[in-house]
Amino acid sequence: MPAAPAEPIRPDWVSKTLAGLLLGLSLAFTASALLMTQLRGMPLAVSGQLAMWLVPPVWLGVLSSVYFFRNGLRAWAWLLGANAAALGLWWWLRQGGAA
Amino acid sequence: MRAEHVRIYKSVHTWTGILSGMALFIAFYAGALTVFKEPLRRWSTPPAALVQPVPMDEAQPLIAQALATTPPAARVTLPLAGDQAIPRLEWQVRAPGADDHDESAARHYTATLGEGGSLQVREQPPSRLVEFIDVLHRVVGLPVDSDPNRWVMGVVSALYFVALVSGVVVLLPSLVKDFFALRVGRNRKRMWLDAHNVVGIVSLPFHVVMALSAVVFAYHDQIYALQDKMIHQGQWSQPSARPQGKPGAAPAHDPADMLRPSQLVQIARQAAPGFEPSALQYTQATGPRPMVRVWGKNPLGVSPRAMGGFAAIDPYSGKLLSADYLSGAQTTPNLFISSFFALHMASFGGTAVLWLYFLLGLAGAWLFYSGNLLWVETRRKAQRKGGAMPVQRRDTALMAAATVGVCIGCVAGISLTLAAAKWLPGRVQDMAAWHVGIYYAVFFACVAWAFARGAARAAAPLLWLAVACTLAIPASSLLGWLAPGAGAWADGGTLAVDLTAIAGALTLAWMARATARRVRSGPQDSVWSARAEARESDENPAPALTQ
Repeated sequence: MPAAPAEPIRPDWVSKTLAGLLLGLSLAFTASALLMTQLRGMPLAVSGQLAMWLVPPVWLGVLSSVYFFRNGLRAWAWLLGANAAALGLWWWLRQGGAA
Repeated sequence: MRAEHVRIYKSVHTWTGILSGMALFIAFYAGALTVFKEPLRRWSTPPAALVQPVPMDEAQPLIAQALATTPPAARVTLPLAGDQAIPRLEWQVRAPGADDHDESAARHYTATLGEGGSLQVREQPPSRLVEFIDVLHRVVGLPVDSDPNRWVMGVVSALYFVALVSGVVVLLPSLVKDFFALRVGRNRKRMWLDAHNVVGIVSLPFHVVMALSAVVFAYHDQIYALQDKMIHQGQWSQPSARPQGKPGAAPAHDPADMLRPSQLVQIARQAAPGFEPSALQYTQATGPRPMVRVWGKNPLGVSPRAMGGFAAIDPYSGKLLSADYLSGAQTTPNLFISSFFALHMASFGGTAVLWLYFLLGLAGAWLFYSGNLLWVETRRKAQRKGGAMPVQRRDTALMAAATVGVCIGCVAGISLTLAAAKWLPGRVQDMAAWHVGIYYAVFFACVAWAFARGAARAAAPLLWLAVACTLAIPASSLLGWLAPGAGAWADGGTLAVDLTAIAGALTLAWMARATARRVRSGPQDSVWSARAEARESDENPAPALTQ
């Protein structure tokens, strides 16, 4: 994130942690859904396991980098945006897959 | 990276670390021992319980008779030893609805052939010693591997992952400067911090793997359930999604028609060159989907589970039903998934990797111990030159006592319950309960003693207790060798267990001496100084700890 040097970084423990926990988890599930769209040729018994293993790294990766945001509001805004983008991509891929 | 980021992440590291540190110490210490589950099992099994192996096909009548009577869902296991088999079948029967991870809820049976070839089935409660140590490591020191306890482990593992990332963020700006620096000198805290950093960075990949896989082991059921609803449209929970034998009409199978063990082993070996079978596990032998899993390890491959991998074979036709878990013959995606398990359980690369994981596990335990000590040390109020002794914070004294009690109590408890394995057989009925009881008695006694005496005056005696408990392991073998009538026994094949215990005891003794020196003559404004504590309790006799 570009940060103006004058503006201080606020810890905002509660709001940043909640953003990481909740929006990180939803982003992780959407990421696993996106992975599933790329693994169509694979049996579900295998691709389903790969999708499950993707969830904790994405979730905890988001949770542990959320404190880099300048404040809690920005964390929520950026992660909501990332969630919306990922969900939109998933929706778009599923439309394309159906066509 | 801005200085504010480092400061914020320092707080993150402090709090995630202090919340998860002691639980992780237990997980890593017990986990390091779990790497050597099989040698420990052999060490703790009385010679009377060992069955002489026979050529594997001679076990066929036993298998045929037993499978005709066992419940179809039971996984009936025939252990192999090279080209021979141990002619004793083992299986478990779980109460319906029991947690499928909680092995303590299962009833254990064995079957052998008696004189004249008659089947003898016995309910045999196993000692479960190594399983207990494994469970301690899976659920951070709790006694039972149940769903709620695993969720506790999951929270601890998630904190652990955040602590890892934040620790790296804090260290990054000074990594180049600090990495090769171990400043041994007057500044003890600097030296401990350097050591904490170098162990953390060097074993970082190991820790990242452990943290993420432990979170998966805790929450995979929930993640699967949610993904099934949201992503797989309910197909995941359909039986056809899982690898299974082929469905179809169920002809009445007679277990006597099954292929012989040597034929089954041959099929598995052909499917995966280099595969060395270690057990045959029969399920549904008389049901609609008969299957035998040929378990084993392949030094050339990656094993998907701690006990290896398996070929799923139809025991009547000899058809290979699935090679998804067969080390050395897996498809790339299956190999990829298996590697996550193998990297956690050290089930690849043979004995050298086992020792590497043992040492990395102990180093991990030390990482969490040193982290707690640094937390205490950072909050120490220094005595000014010639000034009065400052009043220390109460929370640091309590944290020091907890760290000493929990960590050393865990070490001493595991050692004593291991040593007890040579004395319990024949003396008590329920060995599993005794092993659990001995561990927790020692553990809680150590914790209580540490809080009652304060960290400084408890640390050295507790370390000497851990030395004594650990020495009891080789001492039991030695006594068994010198006086076989006493009940214990010695086994030359598991001498490495005794030697490792001696090395461990020597290390603990060295730590005990160093701690005692520090307690006697270290700086008085430290929680590790008995002189400071003695004076405090003179002034204020009730609590032993500084106020």
